Amino acid sequence: MSEQYKILHPVKYYRDYLAHNIRPDGREFDKYRPIVVNLGSISTADGSAIAKVGRTTVVCGIKAELCQSKAEAANEGFLIPNVELPPLCSSKFRPGPPTEQAQVATQLVADILKNSECLDLKSLCIFPDKLAWCLFADLICLDLDGSLIDACMIALMAALKSVRLPVIDYDPALDNKQANLEHRKPLNITNIPSSTTFAKFDDKIVMDPTVDEEDLSTALITIALRKNELCFVHKPGGASVTDEQLLKCIDESQKRAIVIEGIVETALRSLQ
Amino acid sequence: MDEVKLRCELGVLTRPDGSVLFSEGETTVVAGIYGPVESKINKTLVEKACVEAYFRPKSGLPGVKDRLNESMIRNVCEAVIAVALFPRTAVVVVVQEMQNNGQLISCALNATCLALLNSGIDMKCMYAAVTCFLDRSDSIVLIPPADEREIKGSFMFVFDSVEKTILASHTEGSFSIDQYKDALSLCREESTNIFNFFKKALTIK
Repeated sequence: MSEQYKILHPVKYYRDYLAHNIRPDGREFDKYRPIVVNLGSISTADGSAIAKVGRTTVVCGIKAELCQSKAEAANEGFLIPNVELPPLCSSKFRPGPPTEQAQVATQLVADILKNSECLDLKSLCIFPDKLAWCLFADLICLDLDGSLIDACMIALMAALKSVRLPVIDYDPALDNKQANLEHRKPLNITNIPSSTTFAKFDDKIVMDPTVDEEDLSTALITIALRKNELCFVHKPGGASVTDEQLLKCIDESQKRAIVIEGIVETALRSLQ
Repeated sequence: MDEVKLRCELGVLTRPDGSVLFSEGETTVVAGIYGPVESKINKTLVEKACVEAYFRPKSGLPGVKDRLNESMIRNVCEAVIAVALFPRTAVVVVVQEMQNNGQLISCALNATCLALLNSGIDMKCMYAAVTCFLDRSDSIVLIPPADEREIKGSFMFVFDSVEKTILASHTEGSFSIDQYKDALSLCREESTNIFNFFKKALTIK
């Protein structure tokens, strides 16, 4: 009976649950879904990870290539994230050029990376103006069940932590480069930024929404933190929130950020 | 503290239902609204109007960064336009960047609000967007510092005109929670000036 009710009156169905301070999947408002991280799953990539937040699954593979740095930033390398939402992950997508949601997600991930300064791009430079590393971070969503950015950030940071770049001997006079594949070095990641998504429904705010909750909600909020500092508070519009609600979200995401950092660190230790 | 100079010219374009040339300090955009107009079949919503936002950069083709601006403009407009009054139609918002001095998103959003008011489409409330900057000396200012390297972070907030609650928030750089709170209260104060400016701009005409 409840299945039919859910299809016919989705909003009423959800509202009835919230009136009893519980969500359809049995969680309370401020509870997040279990997080699973697996490191080094793709052996052909220079660094890789799979992150699951509930049923949302994101695979991240990092490919390192040598390139020439830009003239305006001669002593910096590149880190280019790209979020892909293939037709496999949801019925909303069809094959073809990246959808708006994928492009917005790509930009949000790039913004969080830039704001948190977790990787100094200068450390990717091998020789100024001549040679630098370009890291392509491809994030592919296999199953879209809400809170995409959160899962992307976990997968991306875990993958970045697992990257081992070969040491390059470069002779600028002869423009001769030699990769030392035996001798590999990890990246200098200074912090692990993590994000938490909230959805607003009526005047209630739920943490880590599923895709059904996201579709029904009137507003989404994404908050990213590095250690104790905020590095991204993004609310792209929708229904308005009060200051107290927003600050409570920041508070909750602070607690979750510590847990996520612990999970990534634990996964990393199991790799070594 | 100096105030951010606001200037606007309503109805600069003849074809759109509402248009405005708006500048906030040194940042300038042109915005135009078409709507409600016939919507594309695959985007039609049966219970409300769909809002389409297009953001054009001052040079080149729109990129991934502009998609984020478009998504913010669309989401804010969807929240304030009385979309339920125009089912199966589209409201098209087009913003053209002219000059950017750091307040681009807030300038685009304010211009959109004025253009919507200029078009006369039914709205639930007005909104005002405010940007402020965190400089190297950890003070929060409304006017962008002349030297870009002085900027440690920036905050953008959108408030509605009724209860002054937060419609949208967007930040750059990293900062403490207290700095975020300070920026929020400074921007809320400044939003009053912007609402007054909107009212004045509409009454002169």
